[in-house]
Amino acid sequence: EVAYSQSTGQKEQLSRCLLRGIRRVQDLCKVLQLPTVFEETAVSYFQRALQHPSFHLVSLEKKELLGGCCVFVTCRQHNWPLTMGTICSLLYAKQELFASVYLSLQKELGLSVPALSLADLVKTHLNSFQLFQHGANIPAAFVEDKEKMVARTMQLVELAGETWLVTGRHPIPIVTAAAFLAWQSLQPAGRLSCPFARFCKLAGVDLPPPAHLRLKELLDILLRMASQLAWLKVFKLDKKTVVKHIGDLLQHRIFLLKNAFCLEEGEEQRAPGEGSAGEGSPRSPPASGGAAREQGCPSAGQRQREGGRRPLLPPCLLHPRKRLRTAALSAADCAVTGDEPISDSEIEQYLRGPEEMRAFRKAKAWP
Amino acid sequence: MDADSDVALDILITNVVCVFRTRCHLNLRKIALEGANVIYKRDVGKVLMKLRKPRITATIWSSGKVICTGATSEEEAKLGARRLARSLQKLGFQVIFTDFKVVNVLAVCNMPFEIRLPEFTKNNRPHASYEPELHPAVCYRIKTLRATLQIFSTGSITVTGPNIKAVASAVEQIYPFVFESRK
Repeated sequence: EVAYSQSTGQKEQLSRCLLRGIRRVQDLCKVLQLPTVFEETAVSYFQRALQHPSFHLVSLEKKELLGGCCVFVTCRQHNWPLTMGTICSLLYAKQELFASVYLSLQKELGLSVPALSLADLVKTHLNSFQLFQHGANIPAAFVEDKEKMVARTMQLVELAGETWLVTGRHPIPIVTAAAFLAWQSLQPAGRLSCPFARFCKLAGVDLPPPAHLRLKELLDILLRMASQLAWLKVFKLDKKTVVKHIGDLLQHRIFLLKNAFCLEEGEEQRAPGEGSAGEGSPRSPPASGGAAREQGCPSAGQRQREGGRRPLLPPCLLHPRKRLRTAALSAADCAVTGDEPISDSEIEQYLRGPEEMRAFRKAKAWP
Repeated sequence: MDADSDVALDILITNVVCVFRTRCHLNLRKIALEGANVIYKRDVGKVLMKLRKPRITATIWSSGKVICTGATSEEEAKLGARRLARSLQKLGFQVIFTDFKVVNVLAVCNMPFEIRLPEFTKNNRPHASYEPELHPAVCYRIKTLRATLQIFSTGSITVTGPNIKAVASAVEQIYPFVFESRK
């Protein structure tokens, strides 16, 4: 005879919290239409995580997010393009809290999460666009072939990646901006007058705030490239008219990037000592780095006309917003040992006099 | 440019955090009343006191624990902490300056090249973590030094560590890895 407490039946009892969590993970997988193997992996991660002390005694809100994190990690491990924004909107969660739970999960379970594939994200994101079939709200001239649009958007996103517009930024605004330019360039005649916001509304997608900036940056890159194309040099292109020539620009992308920007390392001529500005002296890297790169660009000083080569740098280095760090250490500061004697007069500046104390007490109405 | 060639990099220390204890109970209300440059946060039970030279901010608890932030070197942190302890002595408390320790150092260093973050992350798993949806930099942790580096595509690196030596070692360790993934 075996006592009930020793039988496996009791050990298989799952807590209500765990059961509810597993159900939530399964529901999420169904909503996202994920394969069954994803659901099994996500559930196993959830069970492991919930047994971990870091997640066992957290709030219910965090436990709900934990399920979403497990699904998110599973999708990333299988190169299924799912963004944090999507999961957060499904869970009605704040991104900051989701981020903290996600990073804890990654750390505690030692999970390796590969990077999000932009190519897959482009395909998935464009799947949600409603411009590929005729509809009541969509003018006939605005309907586009899906394959062509995906191909051109992919090329524009690759161009953005090569020109420092993707690194460190949210991917969706870049994909949305690239999709807009791709769509316009495929049939410019009827579409150049359509603004970005209207395009997103017709496509049935959100317009994320940074997308306008990404669009502007992409257009700047395209304009620079266009200035190097022989048959376009005669035209005075602007941000609207350059869209008509995106096909040609993408076709000759490598050549144009090389000519429009200082790409080669040899051209950038950074001497090994450039990084150091002398012992204890300040270094303002963006300015000095930028100056070094401009000097390194061949004849940059001579060809300062529109269309002249400029360094290919992340936008924040080209247009620095921050006040540069110029904390200069004086000789006196360098000599500080920490054990200097402290005089009374130094300290008295930090103490209130009797009159000041009376006035302060009166102002604060302290007894 | 070669990773092995001598490259001098400036490491700019932007913040040093230190703690010390006064070994006596502190009356926060008295400090708020009699001390200048003081902010009394009654709801959380602490007082903030700012010194001009060195430019530090001290958080003071009634238990006698004090945390000082804002110094730009370990020596400056110690001097600031001692000046603060002396101020508290002048206010009438029986302060003994003990258990002084630098707990955190924040520094910034700039590489003379841009860094391809996706490539760097791929080559340096699992120490490196890159989530552009959350933060534009790669987070690289060196467990042995208890140091964390935030590596930006511009080549700027922010390092936090328990002391200056750990921060300098962290920069030395990371340089060959970022050099491999330079633009």
